[in-house]
Order: sequence, then structure tokens, then C-alpha cells
Amino acid sequence: MKKLSVVVAGTGQIRDVEIQPGTTAGDILHQLNLEDYLLSRGPNEPFFANAESVYDKVKDGEKIFASTKAEVGIALCA
Amino acid sequence: MRVKELGTRHAPSAIREMFSRVVRGHGPSISVVRREIPYWRERGWTRDGNNYTGWYQTPDAAFHGWIEDSWSGNINFFLYNPSAQIRRHSHWSCFAPRDGEWYLVHMARRPKDVSSGILTIERLIREAYQQ
Repeated sequence: MKKLSVVVAGTGQIRDVEIQPGTTAGDILHQLNLEDYLLSRGPNEPFFANAESVYDKVKDGEKIFASTKAEVGIALCA
Repeated sequence: MRVKELGTRHAPSAIREMFSRVVRGHGPSISVVRREIPYWRERGWTRDGNNYTGWYQTPDAAFHGWIEDSWSGNINFFLYNPSAQIRRHSHWSCFAPRDGEWYLVHMARRPKDVSSGILTIERLIREAYQQ
């Protein structure tokens, strides 16, 4: 088991969770009722895919971020 | 007599503190309260009404930013004086010039809050410098 602190970027609220091996980003977001969000270890790290296992990519006690989905671009942009 | 006492004086405070810790053991642990603040504030941005100013920060570069959180619910993100690396990024066409060297960053998928937008633009800057 690993403990994680999920920081909701917009409010700064911290949600503490405990995860087991194989727990996916989607599992965490669903558990926290943050389905419209994405998880990442910070601005310099990529987002976790929903089905991606988070357990082996984070350290026990680590702080990770949940931010709402956003993408730079316009209709003409990829 | 081999030893002659000349007088006494206080040991340095650091040594006194070390000995007193040995005698009394560790003091009680202090619980540090976590700050629950939005990402924009954690990154040093400031807010004036519906406008935010600060820096989009990455390990490679930082850019002055301005954000307008309009009453209609749209959040507009501006970045000042983008570098050559950003101008070479595949999303450069999403930067629309405004006054001076300010650029409006178009969002195909709009973030629901200011912090998420800052994270998105910082991620784009990081990508630009890793190309």
C-alpha cells in the first residue's frame, strides 16, 4: 500500500488516498469523484492515462496533482 | 599537585544544547499543517479581481503571464514574449498576438479553472524545450 496526497489544482484541496498495486489513475479519480480531471506528478510530467497503473510510478507519501482537462489549440491546430 | 584549577567558564551554547538534549531526550514532535492553496497561488501568481499575473514556470524557462477570468466563464490566458523554442512548437499557431509582445493562448479544450490552465501552458513550454 502507498499513501498519496492528491492536490486538486483549482482549489488546493488535498485528498489523501491509499492505493494498492495495480490501482489506475481512473480508479483514483473515480474514488475521489473527480472524473473530469487528469492526474499528473506536476507540470513537468505527463498526465497519467486513465487506465495506467499509478502504483509503481509514485513514491509513498508523494503529492500529485489533479487538474481539469485542457488543451492548447484551435480548430486548425492538431 | 598535577592539576591546578584556574577557574570555570560556560561551555559554548551549542555544546550545552547538545548535552541538555541527551539528558532530556527529544522534544515532542511538531505537526506541520499542510497548506491547501490553489496551484496558481502556490506558484506565486497574484490575483486582482478577475485578473491574475505571474509566471509560467518550468525548469527550462519562465514566462510572464496574465490571465483574465471573465464573468462569462471564459478564462483567457496570455503569455509575454514567447521564446524561439515556443515559436517552433507545433502549437505556435495557437498563440494569437495582442498588444505589445503579449500573446493570447487559444485553448481547444478550455480548463475549468485558472490553475489547470497554468499547468497546461507550463506543460506546453516544457514540451517546446524538449523538442
